[in-house]
Amino acid sequence: MALSSKATHQKTQFAISLRRLGQAQGGGLFVALVGLGCYFTVASPAFLTRSNLTVVLLQVSILGMVAVPGAMLLVSGGLDLSVGSVAGLSAASFGEFSQIFHLPLGWSIILALAVGATWGLCNGILIAYLRCSPVIVTLGGYAGAAGVAQFITSDNTRYNFGNAFAVLGNGEVGGLPVPVIIFLFVFVVGLYVWYRTPVGRHLISIGSNREAAKAVGVAVIRLPFIVYILSGMAAAAGGLILTSQLDAASVQIGQGLELQVLTAILLGGVAFNGGRGSLWGTLAGILFIGVLDNGLVLINVGPYVASMCVGGALVVAAVLDVVYQHLERVPVRAPEALVKLKGDISQGDVPGAVSVG
Amino acid sequence: MSVGIGSSDPGGPAAVAQPHEEMLAVHDVVKRYGPVTALRGVSLSLRKSEVLALIGDNGAGKSTLVSIIAGLSKPDSGEVLVAGKAFTSSPHAARSAGIETVFQNLMLVPTLDIAQNVFLGRELYQGGPVGRLLRNVNNRRMRREVEEAFASLGLNLPPVTAKAGALSGGQRQAVAIARAVIWGSKIVVMDEPLAALGVQQTEAVLGLVEGLRDHGIATLLVTHNMQHVLRVANRVAVLRLGQKVADVDLVEHHLTGMQLVGLITGELTQDEL
Repeated sequence: MALSSKATHQKTQFAISLRRLGQAQGGGLFVALVGLGCYFTVASPAFLTRSNLTVVLLQVSILGMVAVPGAMLLVSGGLDLSVGSVAGLSAASFGEFSQIFHLPLGWSIILALAVGATWGLCNGILIAYLRCSPVIVTLGGYAGAAGVAQFITSDNTRYNFGNAFAVLGNGEVGGLPVPVIIFLFVFVVGLYVWYRTPVGRHLISIGSNREAAKAVGVAVIRLPFIVYILSGMAAAAGGLILTSQLDAASVQIGQGLELQVLTAILLGGVAFNGGRGSLWGTLAGILFIGVLDNGLVLINVGPYVASMCVGGALVVAAVLDVVYQHLERVPVRAPEALVKLKGDISQGDVPGAVSVG
Repeated sequence: MSVGIGSSDPGGPAAVAQPHEEMLAVHDVVKRYGPVTALRGVSLSLRKSEVLALIGDNGAGKSTLVSIIAGLSKPDSGEVLVAGKAFTSSPHAARSAGIETVFQNLMLVPTLDIAQNVFLGRELYQGGPVGRLLRNVNNRRMRREVEEAFASLGLNLPPVTAKAGALSGGQRQAVAIARAVIWGSKIVVMDEPLAALGVQQTEAVLGLVEGLRDHGIATLLVTHNMQHVLRVANRVAVLRLGQKVADVDLVEHHLTGMQLVGLITGELTQDEL
């Protein structure tokens, strides 16, 4: 019996390792990322240089900071398609605050962030509290925010925000561009919140089994609500950085951001319907897009190939998702009987057992 | 009350010998859903170390009563008292008061692992004020506590890092029940815990119910199976059309399955027993 139980135990371990492998779609993507990096390093001497890698990070910094709350929303069964337009609206509002209302720079930035947060707040109220469909509400926001931006600016673009504001998009601290520093800061805070606090597992539980999460007291309404606000703020921050880089507050800013963000998150293995996924995987998705875009330019291949590669990777991700769901349904067996009751529970004086009053 | 998995609480007969301490009291609870009155003034009392079976036909109001006790819905009138104190209708308040509910659909999150499920919504933090302030979870301690609890309950389950979605029905049941014990609940409410289980697993879960009783925990067991009632319950309450029609002590009266069915359908009244 001891032998057979050892064998089943090994089988259990094997099933769990298989499942871990499936789970680590983000991990698989990291492997692909390293492979891609090696290829570009061989193909182009310019790839593996400090300045080029900084450029890669700079290019994905806005995408990256918006993808952090984006991944949290998707894993909890939510979605924010309005981030691109909200980035544009915040940029346009900043232009108006700064040049039409002649507010000081600091106030213009704070108010532009507040515009994004307010949009996120409205999304949150409609989706988290009133249980509206996130796809419909934020698709409405996608069209609506762009319309509002055009309305308040009469489709004008404002220029010349001065040197102080240019630091936000073009400045460097310790050799790192400011947007990269902001992205890394957002990401590290996101990692802590996701993995070291209960928030990550609570978001997963909301996306996986909302009823169960609610029954054990998870804040199934308040938690996504807060993340929608953060998503709006992250989009606004992205819009401001782009405005600073271009020195122009245009309503065009942020166009297409929502699909880039969604692509990175899905590549990183977050399930579209929620309940599964990781923030590390999302980082892999973000970097994969960045490295691909950058490397293909370096080896003189057109941007069409980059689009094709991202499309192909998404399809592979979709297939892996199905494989993983299949693996998840394979039952794990306990070493011996499924559930076995010891003769007398009260006799079991286990050292360190939970003792409660 | 000292109820500990590894404590020296005298199990079995000694614990059953002092069953009069009332743990849960339901007073005259009325619940309406629009024009339908699901509960028409139901009162119930649950004492320490007792397994009270709640039976009744479909639509009798069993699930409504369970959801009120679990804090998931609010009664239109009447109240639920735990150890003499009323609690507000919220799942959190019910759990804080010591009521753990094992639901029909088990209420586990399939994509989280066993340890995460057991501690979901009540995570343990790293020691010290900083760990608490930063809400820094202590995964290692949570896993260890779950492992120890399983061991002391004699449960033989997959590693606590296995996803709940990969468990069989009986395993999930065991996890849900272990959760109740780990949290030191005084009252465990089980809504059809045996509905989808095989013979061996049913036996194991019934054994767990008896184990809860020996720990001094009061159990409310909702079931359709009369054999299970007769096997583990000390008392049976029968609901029919939103009213309690019988409340029989099974230690004093030896009922048969047929008599229980008679009470459910209304062919028999308590006075006729």
